[in-house]
Amino acid sequence: MAEFIQILISGLSAGSIYALAAVGFTLLWQASQTINFAQGEFVMLPAFFVLALTVKLGLPLPLAIILAIFLSVLLLGAVFKKLVVEPMIQHGTLPLVIATIALGLLLKEGVKEFYSPLGQPFPSLFPQDVLSVFGAAVSIPDIANFVIAMGTIIGLQLFLARTRTGRCMQATAQNPDVAQILGVDIKKMVLYTFLINGALAAIASVLITPIYLAKFSNGEVLGLVAFIAAIVGGFNQIRGALVGGLLIGVIDNLSAGYVSAEYRQAVPMLLLIFVILVRPQGLLGTSEGRAV
Amino acid sequence: MLELKDLHGGYGKIQILNGTSFKIPPASITTVIGPNGAGKSTVFKAVFGLLNITSGQILMDGQDVTRRTPKQMIDAGVTYVPQGRNVVPQLSVYHNLELGGITSNNQARVRDRIEQVMDQFPMLRQFKDRKAIELSGGQQKQLEVARTLLLDPKLILIDEPSIGLSPNLVQEVFRTLQALRDQGVTILMVEQNAKSALAMSDYGLVLELGQTRMHDAADKLLADPRVGHLFLGGHIEEEETA
Ligand SMILES: Nc1ncnc2c1ncn2[C@@H]1O[C@H](COP(=O)(O)OP(=O)(O)OP(=O)(O)O)[C@@H](O)[C@H]1O
Ligand SMILES: [Mg+2]
Repeated sequence: MAEFIQILISGLSAGSIYALAAVGFTLLWQASQTINFAQGEFVMLPAFFVLALTVKLGLPLPLAIILAIFLSVLLLGAVFKKLVVEPMIQHGTLPLVIATIALGLLLKEGVKEFYSPLGQPFPSLFPQDVLSVFGAAVSIPDIANFVIAMGTIIGLQLFLARTRTGRCMQATAQNPDVAQILGVDIKKMVLYTFLINGALAAIASVLITPIYLAKFSNGEVLGLVAFIAAIVGGFNQIRGALVGGLLIGVIDNLSAGYVSAEYRQAVPMLLLIFVILVRPQGLLGTSEGRAV
Repeated sequence: MLELKDLHGGYGKIQILNGTSFKIPPASITTVIGPNGAGKSTVFKAVFGLLNITSGQILMDGQDVTRRTPKQMIDAGVTYVPQGRNVVPQLSVYHNLELGGITSNNQARVRDRIEQVMDQFPMLRQFKDRKAIELSGGQQKQLEVARTLLLDPKLILIDEPSIGLSPNLVQEVFRTLQALRDQGVTILMVEQNAKSALAMSDYGLVLELGQTRMHDAADKLLADPRVGHLFLGGHIEEEETA
């Protein structure tokens, strides 16, 4: 039982970070039909911003993190939209998908080439202590990661639901034609979505990288997991992406703990296949989620 | 109030409006009729800044408003209710109404107006917390009509409001429009339901192939045999040459 609780909590913790990436992925899809196959690299990269700022420039960690989030919002949000999405979407969804795949490769190889091909230690943000909960040893970073990731997603949900700007963003995603005729500045709303995705990726990056090392290839698994979590959750709902992320985190950790660490990689894939077969619209998805 | 002068325009390279011209007076209801594909909806899009206009002019109260953006047209006092369903499906009825006043700098006033239109359309108050997608087609249309009133527009462009509405609700919407006209609002409407629409309108306008074919007092058009013929599927030219 103690072991189960332990595994469950670290699964939820990892899953909530996956959910950050999956939520961003879903938001971009809703707002601009962008399927961002560079999302994994978007989560890989900000950790290197932090490293560059701390190791190379000697800035203190908290400041470096704030700057890295800022840089991500700018580069992975605004610049990505301007230089990749806007020119490519005019040619259709498929060219854009290919462009994001290319961008992912570019970011990956760029970090490998210009920073390092080796995994870099990344400072942990929280004390590495262990708390005892019902006899289970629960790590403080796990709990802190979970709280921050969930807090971010809940905050985002509240922003979208409770503020007028958030509702304008929803209107733009759900029915851009109507949003436009009512005078919503739909271009600005789509831009906000990209900025938010940049911030979500950066937060996910600084939370997840201390668990592993900062490495150019970190995006491979993360991107896949975010993609699967988004599909499992229904692709058109933030709540779905959240549930998808948590589910993958928990199942992944449970299978690593009880089945085999070797096969854990296959587990999200199995979940994906299962969901596609049983509930093609996703766990929480609705077939009429998008009215055009 | 609104004047179109020899308007040309279309979608991409496809020309739909071929010199549309007409002028409608303030505080009046004008119904636009014409066969499918005549360009009725396209005229509305042109006025509201949603069409690529190649030449011609749109004037409002004598002022040139050609090629304005939708936002600028809203600020100039125009609202537009397109054909079909036009709600934000997952937002509540209340929040759909709120979007109708989203461009206003006075949100307190918008909230008051929402209360007033909910008095006018009690169904909306009853379902204000439901998602818009959960309303029936007729209820969604009422929501759209109500939403268009929040900014107290001077000119309402309303495209086929009666589709999907029961005859009772159609009359209800028509009465709402007439009441607005009596308050000084100008209304330009497209209706398939030509007989009952002309019967409640001041003027009628027949559009064909992107050009104004007839424009007269509504009762005159109603009595015109060529209009009757048009609705049996013919063309005006055939009638004229016959
Ligand atoms: N977005 C678009 N892109 C290209 N062509 C369009 C577009 N919208 C309409 N058209 C074409 O423009 C022409 C006029 O369309 P419009 O919708 O204005 O007709 P309408 O008179 O409103 O017809 P209906 O009675 O069917 O509503 C049609 O031939 C239509 O196919
Ligand atoms: Mg039409």
